[in-house]
Amino acid sequence: MFFAGKGTMSKQLIIKPEKCVGCRTCELVCSFGHTEQFNPCLSAVTVMDYEQAAVSIPIMCLQCDEAPCLKVCPVGAISRNENGAVVMNAQKCIVCKMCQNACPLGNISYSPITRKVFKCDLCDGDPKCAKFCPWGAIEYVEPQEDLDRKKAVAESFKEVFGEGA
Amino acid sequence: MTVKFFATYREITKCAQMNIAPPKDVLALLIELCEKFPAFYEKLLTQDRQALGPDAIVLVNGRHIVHLNGVATTLSEQNVVAVFPLVAGG
Amino acid sequence: MGGWIGKLLRVNLATGEIKKEPLNMKAANDYVGARGLGTKYFCDEVDPNVDPLGPDNKLIFMTGPLTATAASCSGRYEVVAKAPLTGTIGAANSGGHFGPELKYAGYDGIIFENQSEKPVYLFIHNDIVELRDAEELWGKTVYETTDMLNETCGASFRVACIGPTGERGCLYSGVMNDKHRAAGRGGLGAVMGSKKLKAVVVRGTGSVTVVRPEPFMDAMADARAKLKAHPVSGAGLAALGTEVLVNVINESGALPLRNWRDGAVFDKADDTSGERLADTYLVKNKGCFGCSIACGRVTRVPDGPFASFGEGPEYEAGWSFGADCGVNDLAAICKANFLCNEYGMDPITLGATIACAMELFEMGAIPEEDIGFPLRFGDAHAVVNLTEAVGKGEGFGEILALGSYRLAEKYGHPELSMSVKKQEMPAYDGRAIQGMALEYATSNRGGCHVRGYLTSPEILGVPLKTDPLETEGKPALLKLFQDLTALVDSLGLCLFTTFGIGLPELSAQYREAIGSDETDEEILLKGERCWNLEKRFNIAAGVEKDTLPPRLLREKLPSGPAKGKVAELYEMLEEYYTLRGWDKEGVPTADKLEQLSI
Repeated sequence: MFFAGKGTMSKQLIIKPEKCVGCRTCELVCSFGHTEQFNPCLSAVTVMDYEQAAVSIPIMCLQCDEAPCLKVCPVGAISRNENGAVVMNAQKCIVCKMCQNACPLGNISYSPITRKVFKCDLCDGDPKCAKFCPWGAIEYVEPQEDLDRKKAVAESFKEVFGEGA
Repeated sequence: MTVKFFATYREITKCAQMNIAPPKDVLALLIELCEKFPAFYEKLLTQDRQALGPDAIVLVNGRHIVHLNGVATTLSEQNVVAVFPLVAGG
Repeated sequence: MGGWIGKLLRVNLATGEIKKEPLNMKAANDYVGARGLGTKYFCDEVDPNVDPLGPDNKLIFMTGPLTATAASCSGRYEVVAKAPLTGTIGAANSGGHFGPELKYAGYDGIIFENQSEKPVYLFIHNDIVELRDAEELWGKTVYETTDMLNETCGASFRVACIGPTGERGCLYSGVMNDKHRAAGRGGLGAVMGSKKLKAVVVRGTGSVTVVRPEPFMDAMADARAKLKAHPVSGAGLAALGTEVLVNVINESGALPLRNWRDGAVFDKADDTSGERLADTYLVKNKGCFGCSIACGRVTRVPDGPFASFGEGPEYEAGWSFGADCGVNDLAAICKANFLCNEYGMDPITLGATIACAMELFEMGAIPEEDIGFPLRFGDAHAVVNLTEAVGKGEGFGEILALGSYRLAEKYGHPELSMSVKKQEMPAYDGRAIQGMALEYATSNRGGCHVRGYLTSPEILGVPLKTDPLETEGKPALLKLFQDLTALVDSLGLCLFTTFGIGLPELSAQYREAIGSDETDEEILLKGERCWNLEKRFNIAAGVEKDTLPPRLLREKLPSGPAKGKVAELYEMLEEYYTLRGWDKEGVPTADKLEQLSI
């Protein structure tokens, strides 16, 4: 079980794809909350759509415990804040984009508009995506062991991909 | 007397319709349904249990009770009562 | 600029010239956007007597000032042209993600003029706007076209396109976007096809801003919270979709049966209901851009003769292929609906046209050899096969592609087309819901339910309960609903927001986005302005008078709570005209036009 922030119990963004309806409200409030512009390209969260499987999933930085982006930054512009979020110092950042390459999950973005790299920063402890998601597909909660969910997800994989999956 | 259930109310009753002896009036019917299926309490009746809840639709022979005699509308053997949550579409 | 980008694309398909011009901000402020603004541009630029399928008709795509923002259910845009089916001003509204993408690319709308010699599509990637050869796409279905364009241009591009029916001029082919969403009614797809324009494909990486960010967020959060709190917009539609209406409309004795011939009570209605769909073929629900309501259906019929996958059916298709054709096979209804999306056709008109053909055949007015088989009510296979025939332009499908009015006229019984101004009436019997009778007769694009949806107060009791069997008060209520709907359609928001919020919440989001201090009433007036502009166009275009098919005016309902009723249109029509400030013939007076600054 991963907790963001070494050894401390803190909230995380928990994603429940089965609740995602693909509305992308999360993308809109994220970009607006950070830049006062509605622009999915400036959003730290992106909804991925899988038409045949009838699944959509909002994806954002997972605030890795051992964050590769933090480790690789040559000027120490990346650190962890009191909410456990891995955050960037825009003043120190030289936009070399090594962090973007280091992230194994592609969760760091570069904006040609602002000419900066950016990622989810948990909005100072009150993440907008979780606040505005109409269906609870994104929640900001303390993580709990949830075997029922694992089973449910496995069941739906079996349904979509067949018994042999 | 036939009582039909629709939309999410079917999840409460686990059936689409039932036949019962006709209660005196609609209010008596609603109370009977709430006693049978307690999940109906916040939905079919107001807090004071005197009137139809704001999110419920009740039709007697296809007519909304608000155009009949409200919850005082009397019922008989031949009536068909339809009970819905508030629904809409286009 | 708030809400707006301030830029329009003007594409001359004959010369290939593409212009970027500033948005007419006065018109934008007077007509709000989307439907209103598209209609204003159209009426200023096009002669009402143009041939809808000729080169002088224009095809306009227009977003609203709230499209692409986080306003409640903000994914909408409008397609405007003179409609081939009806000869009226035709405007159709669609959701999905195409509209917002156009704004992110930097354009509030597109005006297409003239006709291309060869099939083309419009490619938009931010500043790059070009017409490209569509020879390889011509003849392909909506799904194929969308997939091919995503393959060539990029997976993140959004596609609006026509199917083969639009290319062929089917009078009710629509403009589809994001595969399953439709600007469906009136045949605007045929206008696009007549211009040899196969698709518009767009990718935008720009931004949309608002004039007053914090107040806008407050207004938006307030609207969204109210939508979430309301049982219909907050939970009901997500769970059961619009098909949840089948049973309540049927129980109210208002579900038209077998081309409206057999009354409005269907004993097998439950087989086609939202409840049944949720129990059988529903995979999950889905939402359009920015939408918290998520009423969309993702549906799979796993096996059998109608095995298929797609989105829908909605209440209307559930009825037009269901009760209207006397069919209760939900799998067949799903399949027919998917075919409509795939080939780009309006399921309301198509189902109603098949139903009309069924009645004509059963009374001996259509010879069997014209159809190829005996066509009877209740035949689910026939419904699917004929839908496919229209999609492919084969056999009897070629005649069905003209819609029920021209079909019925061809076989000597135009009165059996259940249509107004040649557009088929949707799934609410006007004899059982009197306000809907008035809406059908007066709606500016012909038989249409959505623009004056009095079913809401009359049957559902939202926002207030009126008696569906009475005519009193309906004219005033209808004017309000028509004006408010025109406003919502012009904002770029989904009409379903009105189940949970009203004029105050809509106006608040609009004001903060564009930086206006207008009152709610001044904003609502813009909806009334749109309505009157549409009406003036229709009169100049020689559209027929407001009336209803004789069946509704004279044939009493045989059963149900509205037994014995006919549509009491003439008890309501004059009062409606008076309230609208029109003369006895339904013509907007000079005073009214002046008051609205039209």
